[in-house]
Amino acid sequence: MSPPDASTAGEPLPPRRLDPRTILIRFLKGSPSVILGIPVFLAWSRGEGVPLVSLFAVMTLLIGVTLVLSWLRWRFFTYQILPGQLVIERGLINRTRRSIPAERIQDVSIKQGPLSRVFGLAQVRIETGGGEADEGRLDSVSLSEAYRLREVLRSIRTAGGLVGAGDPEGEAERGDEPETVLFRMGLGRLVYSGLFKFSLVWIAAIFGVLQYFDQAFGYDRNQWRELFGVAERELQSRLNGGVILSVAGLAVGLGLIAGVVRTVLQNFGFTLAHTEARFRYRRGLLTRTEVVVARRQIQLGLIERGTVSGRLGWCALKVQTLGGDQASGRQQLAPFARPSELAPIIALAGLPPFERATLRPVSPWHGLRGLTGFVILPTLIMLVTTAVFPLAALLLLVMPVPLAVALLRRRYHRYGLAGSSLQVARGVLTRREWTVPYGNVQSVTVRRGPVQRLLGIATVGIDTAGGQGLIGPHIHDIDEAQAAAFVGALIERLEGTATHSNARCYLAE
Amino acid sequence: MVFEPVPLQPLERGYLRVLRIRSAIGWLVVLAMAVVADGLVQSRAGLPAGVVAGPVLAFGFVAIVFLVPGRWRRWGYAFTDRELHVASGWLMRVHTVVPVSRVQHIDVSQGPIERSAGVATLSLHTAGTENSLVVLPGVSCQRAEDIRDAIRARISDAPW
Repeated sequence: MSPPDASTAGEPLPPRRLDPRTILIRFLKGSPSVILGIPVFLAWSRGEGVPLVSLFAVMTLLIGVTLVLSWLRWRFFTYQILPGQLVIERGLINRTRRSIPAERIQDVSIKQGPLSRVFGLAQVRIETGGGEADEGRLDSVSLSEAYRLREVLRSIRTAGGLVGAGDPEGEAERGDEPETVLFRMGLGRLVYSGLFKFSLVWIAAIFGVLQYFDQAFGYDRNQWRELFGVAERELQSRLNGGVILSVAGLAVGLGLIAGVVRTVLQNFGFTLAHTEARFRYRRGLLTRTEVVVARRQIQLGLIERGTVSGRLGWCALKVQTLGGDQASGRQQLAPFARPSELAPIIALAGLPPFERATLRPVSPWHGLRGLTGFVILPTLIMLVTTAVFPLAALLLLVMPVPLAVALLRRRYHRYGLAGSSLQVARGVLTRREWTVPYGNVQSVTVRRGPVQRLLGIATVGIDTAGGQGLIGPHIHDIDEAQAAAFVGALIERLEGTATHSNARCYLAE
Repeated sequence: MVFEPVPLQPLERGYLRVLRIRSAIGWLVVLAMAVVADGLVQSRAGLPAGVVAGPVLAFGFVAIVFLVPGRWRRWGYAFTDRELHVASGWLMRVHTVVPVSRVQHIDVSQGPIERSAGVATLSLHTAGTENSLVVLPGVSCQRAEDIRDAIRARISDAPW
């Protein structure tokens, strides 16, 4: 990376527009829906007896209006780097001027979609702590301009000396700091990890799309059959007729392929790098994504072990973040790794290490509650349904799975107060382990439903920042007396720690 | 048997009146609909008057006289200078603990019914997601403001 452009630091450049090719990209991005709409429109117009010429006139007009509108949007969108801030102005009728103070900029990330790559463009996202997703997005500028922006914005931020002050360790921030690669996924491991992402949903989606095209374009069904027939003969000749390919086998095979394809598309070339107090990961085959996770945005760490891959000793490391490029949510720092590979990443993320030996189990009633919830009630419902639809009896065949889950539930649910973090383990099929630094627990809620009151147990909910709609580090069904002691001890520790991330800084406006 | 890490204080009696008035308004709306339904049932099916409205009136009465106080009694709070405890819920008992240092901002609000009863609602906003807003209704205005000022003082003291 080159050092920041000296001229920009001195006098501000005039406001700039986005790359004009953006108009074309936006048009092309919007066009699939138009193209898919054409056959429908054609079918309709033929039925109504509308001449083809007027149809083309309407379509040309539509395209023209779309292009003019995108041009206007482009024409009235400018950005400018002023001392200490980035100013984005946009809108023809509703004119908006947004200034993003340099001190609020967490980082600048660059994303390239497949179309952008063709044109050599990139989308620049200015990451701030706010909740709004589109806070500072420049879509799109040329790749060189994107790199320039990143350098300049980083340099003005550092010049203010604001970032260093925010870091508890007082680490200085420098854009040209060399990155150390912490984790990289080779193609072999990538494909292997895809095997565990077996998914039948994608098969359903593919068939859905085929069905759609089938109807939209009036393809001859026999054509498909013929195609499948050829494929089948081919397969049978290869397998020497020794194996009969059942429908289930085919579905499993397709499911595996779908999983591998999806994983390769998503995580191709996954690289996690670390500089000073931030992580940067890049991934993706068609859409190349680059995401920056600043250490102070990290709210908690989560290790996930998949149903099958987890048993084989593979796991994923996720962190829950507040603010930044992806706004809030969970970022995968390592999608498929050995625990030994994760330990250094966890340490660099400033997360307390897992202390599994110190964790305690929950009340024995936890299993019973699971038994009533996942086994007895559904079985009753199914039995009633079977009386009406006899085929529903087949569903009873899958009941051993929830039964096993209910019985094993308590064994895998543990919690404890470690040296500097709350730690919770939960889950039978997908096993999750959380480590939440005390500073990042926002509030604690104890819930007791009627059954729980009868059994003298309670559920302790742990609220953290940035985890909208995600499975949280809650502790289900602990003994009431223990719950009271636990909450007391937890609150004691919460007070003793300063907020690890500056969550308050982000939100206090 | 009772989960109570700290002794809780009940809400102001004025808040019981607020709950009763709110409940009464809700039941009046239901009653109005029941009366209309009553008229229809009477003219179409020839059933005696009050076949719908009667039970609704009875349920409403029971709710306002017996159930609302039960709900009110379930509320409790404690402010220990270090954290705020808020407990509520009749069927599902919920006890929330908010450490003062996690509070982002605080609202004290008062609706018309609450004003007539001399109570206010204290709302604490945290950075959390599932439980980012913790509401404590039915405390006296003075108490709400005292808690707010205490929390505000603690927040500005805390190192950023």
